[in-house]
Parts: sequence; C-alpha cells; structure tokens
Amino acid sequence: MKMTFFERIQKLDRRYIYIVVALAIIIPLMVPYNSDNVTTAPSENLYQMIDSFAGREDRAVLLSITHDASTMPELYPMEVAILRHCFERNVKVFTLTWYASSAPIIDYAINNVKEEFPDIKSGVDYCNFGYKPIPLPLVIGMGDNIANTMNTDAEGRKLENLPIMKGITNYNEMNLVVEFSGSVAGMTWITYARPKFGLNVAVGVTAVMAADEYPYLQSGQMIGMLSGLKGAAEYEKLVDVFAGYREAGIDYRVKTDANGKKILAGRPFGREILKDESTKELINITTQTTAKFTPADFNAFVAKYPEQAGLLRQLGKEDKGQIKVDVAAITPEQRKAMGEVTYLDLKKMSRDIPYKFKVARIGMNAQSVAHIMIILFIIIGNVGYFVQKARQAKVS
Amino acid sequence: MSNLVGAFFTLCIFSFLYKDNPFYQMSEQLLVGISLGYGLVFTYTRTFIPYVYQPIVLKHQWVLIIPAVLGMLYLFRFSRKLGWLSRYPIAFSMMSVGASVPLGIHATILVQMRQAMVPIETFNLFLIFFGTIAVLLYFFFSKAHTGIYGKFVDVGKWYMMIGFGASFGLTVMARISLLIGRIQFLVNDVLGLIK
Amino acid sequence: MKKTIPLLIVIVGGIVWVLWAFSPHYILQEVFYNKFYMPWALASAPFAMLLGVMSLSMMHSNKIKRKAPKWQYSYFFFAGFVITSLAGFIGGTQKGGVFMWMFENMQMPMSSTMFSLLAFYMASAAYKAFRARSTEATVLLIAAIVVMLAQVPLGVKISKYLPTISQWILDVPNLASKRGIMLGVGLGSVATSLKILLGIERSYLGGGD
Repeated sequence: MKMTFFERIQKLDRRYIYIVVALAIIIPLMVPYNSDNVTTAPSENLYQMIDSFAGREDRAVLLSITHDASTMPELYPMEVAILRHCFERNVKVFTLTWYASSAPIIDYAINNVKEEFPDIKSGVDYCNFGYKPIPLPLVIGMGDNIANTMNTDAEGRKLENLPIMKGITNYNEMNLVVEFSGSVAGMTWITYARPKFGLNVAVGVTAVMAADEYPYLQSGQMIGMLSGLKGAAEYEKLVDVFAGYREAGIDYRVKTDANGKKILAGRPFGREILKDESTKELINITTQTTAKFTPADFNAFVAKYPEQAGLLRQLGKEDKGQIKVDVAAITPEQRKAMGEVTYLDLKKMSRDIPYKFKVARIGMNAQSVAHIMIILFIIIGNVGYFVQKARQAKVS
Repeated sequence: MSNLVGAFFTLCIFSFLYKDNPFYQMSEQLLVGISLGYGLVFTYTRTFIPYVYQPIVLKHQWVLIIPAVLGMLYLFRFSRKLGWLSRYPIAFSMMSVGASVPLGIHATILVQMRQAMVPIETFNLFLIFFGTIAVLLYFFFSKAHTGIYGKFVDVGKWYMMIGFGASFGLTVMARISLLIGRIQFLVNDVLGLIK
Repeated sequence: MKKTIPLLIVIVGGIVWVLWAFSPHYILQEVFYNKFYMPWALASAPFAMLLGVMSLSMMHSNKIKRKAPKWQYSYFFFAGFVITSLAGFIGGTQKGGVFMWMFENMQMPMSSTMFSLLAFYMASAAYKAFRARSTEATVLLIAAIVVMLAQVPLGVKISKYLPTISQWILDVPNLASKRGIMLGVGLGSVATSLKILLGIERSYLGGGD
C-alpha cells in the first residue's frame, strides 16, 4: 500500500531528527539576540541573602561544588555568576568539593572570574579549601571550628594564618552554604548541619532535580534554589542589574573610604527596579558599543576626569535628548590620550557584558528555539498518530 | 591546541549518533581508563598520603595501622575462600547508618510533615494539603480504592501526573542545556565564532 | 560465625551513633567521634579505590584473553589508565602538568559529550514515543508544555501569564505530589536503616557463608 504522508513522517529516520536538533541549537548560538529572563522567587531569595553579607567581615558564603564535567553547562554559569556577585560586593567566599573530579572546576571558575577583578586576592577575599575526602566529619566539624577542621586550604597554607579567617569561626559566621550538584543536592547539609547548627542551605541543581527540591523550599529548609540554565540566566541578570551596576557620577577609583573599609560597588536589591523599563538597557546580550548618558549624568562623568574633559566632550554626540559616545569608534590615539582608566570606565558605561558573564543567557536563547522544536515534534507525532488511528478505525 | 584535542574527542563521541564506529569505541574505553587513573592518583595524593602515610609513618600514630589493615581487607572480595574477610570494612562503614535514623526522620519526615500541616490560610495551602494526603493514600494498598474513597485517591493520581509533567518539562530543559554547553564549546572556544 | 561478628559491629556501633545524634556528652562527641571514628574512617577510605582498579583490570584482561567481541579496544583502556597513572605519580597533580592536561582536555570533553547525547535521544523520543494515549498522559503533556514554554524567554512573549501559571504548577500540584512521594520514600528508607541497625537486614554483607 502506498505510504501516506503521515505514515511517512511517522517512520522518519532518527538521524534527520538529530540534524534538526543540531541546527536548532547551532543557529541561535551564532546569531545572538536580546531576550529577557523573568526572575523567580527562589533565585531572588538567594541573591538577597548573599547580598545581605555584602561588605561584612563576619559573614561568609561557602560554595560546595560537587559535580563533574558532565553537568558543567548548567552549573558552571551559576558558579561564575555567584563568584562575580561576591567579588563585586565584597562578600567573603569559600569553595570546597567532595569529589576529586570537581577540583579543576573550582579552579576554572575562580580564575575565570578573577580576570575581571585584579584586586581580588586568594586568602583575603576568597579561599579555596579544595578537595576534602569524606563529607560527614568535616560538615559536622565546621560547626565547631572551621580552621581546626579543615586545617589547610588547597594550596597547603594553614587556615588560621589567613586574613580571610578573621571574624569567621564556624557556621554562625559562615552562615550560608550553596551546594552545586547534578544529583541529590544539599541533603548532607540539611540533615546534619542545619538542625544542629542552624546553617542556611541553598542549592544550584540541574533542572532534572529542580522539581524534586520544591518541598524543601516551601518548608524553609532551603532558602533559595537555582534551577538549571534558567536559574543561572536569572542570577546573571540579577548581578548585571544590581551588583554590577555602575553609575556615571560615582568615582570608582576610590576603593576604600576614610576608615580603610572597601566601598561597595553596585546597588542593593529592589523588586521595583526589576519591573522598571530602564533595566532593559542593562541586560542586553548583544555587543553594546554606545555609552548613553542623560546630560546631567554626562556632566557628572566628565567632572570625574577633569584632564580629559575636552576630549570627552568632543566624543559625546547629542541625540534625542541623550548624549551618546561610540566606544567602538575611539581611535588608538584618542584612547592613549584619555588614559586606560577613563577608557575602561567609558566602556563599562556602554553596559557591554563580557562573554563569560552572559553564557547562560545566550544558552537560553538557543533553549527557546529547542523547546519550540520539541513541542512541535510532540504535536506532529501525536497528530500523525491520531490520524493513523482514525484511518485504521475507518478501515476496520 | 588543547582545544583541538578536546574538539577531536567530542566529535568522536558525537559520531555515535550516525553509527557505532571504531572512533567511538576507542574514545569510550579511553574515557574509562583515564577516569580510573585520575581517581587512583587523586586518592593517593589527597587521601592516602595525608591520612594514612603521614599519621602512621611521620607522626607515629601506630594505632592507625588497624584501620589501614581494615581497608586492605576490602581486596579479599575477589577471593572465594577468604571473601568473608571483606565484610569487616563494610561493617565499619555501615555503622554510621545509626545516625541517619534519627536525623533522617527529622529532616525528611518530621519537618516535611510539619510544613504540610500549617494553618490553611490560602487556597493554595489547602490544595497542597489535600494533594499531599491524596498522593500518600494513593500508595496505601491495604484498603481497596473503591467508591468515594476511590475517587478521592484518584485526585492523587492527577496531582502526580501534573507533577511528573513539570519534571518532564524541566528534564527536557536540562538535557538540552548539556548539548548547548558542548556546542558552545565547539562553536566558541574552537572556532571562535560567537562573541 | 563469619557473619555474626560484622553484624555485631554494625549493631553496637549503630547504637553508639544513635546516641551520638542525641547527646552532646564529651565522651561521645570528642573521644568517639573526633579521636576514634574520623581518623579511622579517613585511614580506611583510600583502599576502596583499589577494589575498583582490580575489578576493571580483571574484566578487561579476561576480555583480551578470551578474545571477546571488541577486545582490541580494551588495550585503549589499559593505555589510558597506565599513562594517566604514571603521569600523575611521576609528574604530579599540579595544574599545567601532563596529568591535569590529560584530564582537562580528554576526560572532561568526553564525559560532557556522553551526557549531551541524551538531548538527541530525548528529541527522537519526543517525536516517536510520546503519545497522548489516555487523559492522564494528555494532562502530563500539557503540564510539560506549559512548564517548557515558561522556562524560556519566549514564554513571556507568548503570554504575560505563562510564567505565573508555570510557577503555580511548580509551587502547588508539583510540590504536593513530590512531598507525598518524599514522605513515602523517607518512611521506607528509615525503616530499612532501622532494619540494618537491628540486624534484621543482612544483604549488605553479601551472600554465601
């Protein structure tokens, strides 16, 4: 019997499906476009908790990275985003792993983020405990004294001598642990550390496990959760809108205030800001080359660099009530004339996000296309099946 | 250069999608071998040296020879006559199941139960309470699921269908993310095509 | 006899652990835990790796001896294992050495790619196998489609309410069903742990005498 159209597509060779899948992902990755990831409560709660530690000597976050390379595409952007948040807002961060195969991942993440923050030092702003073999004794021991339980960091330095440990004794100070895992996440901490020591637990999980962790979110045993690539994209967006936000008028060359304490960059979390139209400018994934200022902001910016005022005013072009500076059009001589500091500040004002900090959002674009493709596959498959069933019922 | 090696092995494994071929077989065995070698070296440097060699030989804590011998008894698993010796290290590590009984009851059962029994202030909380009981009763097979009781328990089935549907939707996202990660590596790090 | 002594170790040790979970007494917390259990557990841990090494090596050498199908590829297993171990023991595990280079550029890409194959299989299964044969399956598929659409940025463009509906699905029915299942699983695992503690469950000791 001649095969009808529906029977033919039902029997389609699976290798054609594989080609469609591959194309559906390669093309969106190569053609970036701007999109908005709506943030959800679990990610916002985690952001707010980490932000509440900003600038405090007596608070720290522990990142427990317990996954191997196979789940890196979902979990690595989360780790990068959280590390960036901590480095921007001066939150002390410790990292740790129970699996030998996760140790290189911690190094990748820290080195990757450190490139953008030349002032961040190991042992002062962050500390990597590295690979420690058995979880249970160490999880419980840290409730009494972290320096005694962990002894040394990944480079072999004794913890009690490190500046970062000043003010941090046990879970009362290192009050939040975020565990990243591809399978059961956070259970050791929830079962042993939380009832005994009152430690706050949050998790970053692959989307497979995310649905199963909701009961713990509602019961308060977990204060927040990042679920899969979407969670990473949401967190990246929150960091861009709040912790990574730079104002034109503030001089960021001043790193410490009168007492020697570090000044916090960025701005605190506010839900109304997320709904505001102006945030759309801050989260563009495509390469941004134009720095836009209101006239008042531009004057404040120029006032920071009085020697280069003439050159800056020359570069600023009036357009629809805003003053725009095309950063890509700055010639090497102009760049040398204005100095690296001014040039980098101008580049930051263009709100261009380095590639490493928007990986998850680019991935989510590809995810959109892939999801539509899978839904179409399901619908076409079902339509074909029902048409075939109806035809067979008619024949018999 | 290192990226090219990574890209080569990535493509070897992707070639399995077309057909089972020697490149895939080779890289599969290589993967197992390298993982095992990595695990062995890391266990030696990060567990054996600091926790067995240094305390016994350097700090002279001779009592630790007993657990070291206990650990070596694991290897008798392969001997038919002396296989019973391998039960001792297993028994030693199973001891800690004693702690997981009270702590497990607390974290997985009691806290979850407490949260399911909060005052029913909103309609959503009522739905959660209703659904939890329906799902629990669905698996209670000592009473027949007939009549009104049967209809009530059926509601649990619908809750589970929606729950599994949500899990499936998230699973699709997770699997595709893994593929996106690999293709980002190939397109960006190797070919340098995305900025 | 050969099973009784390990069983007694588990029962007595298990009871001490239960007391440890409840009592802050010095003998239990400091002497038992810090001075006895922790150093002993850490000292006996590394040898379990030798078990894995021996098991896999025996399996592959048998394959080569018997010339089982695809036996030539077992040589690749040995090559990978021996070269990595030698590179690690002789060269050291610091970043930049041959050992870490092999791990980062061979093992990590390969293991990630193995997992990413699942995406293709999932798409193929979605096309060929997911059929809405009954009302329950239809409800499952609709919930899945709503959650899938809401996860991506495109979802909010399709409908303003999609993220809210999806979050409700995750927060209410999904939570109720997962909580019910989790309570059941929790009760089951506590029952099994209790059976191990009391010596009723002995399967972990293996079969035979």
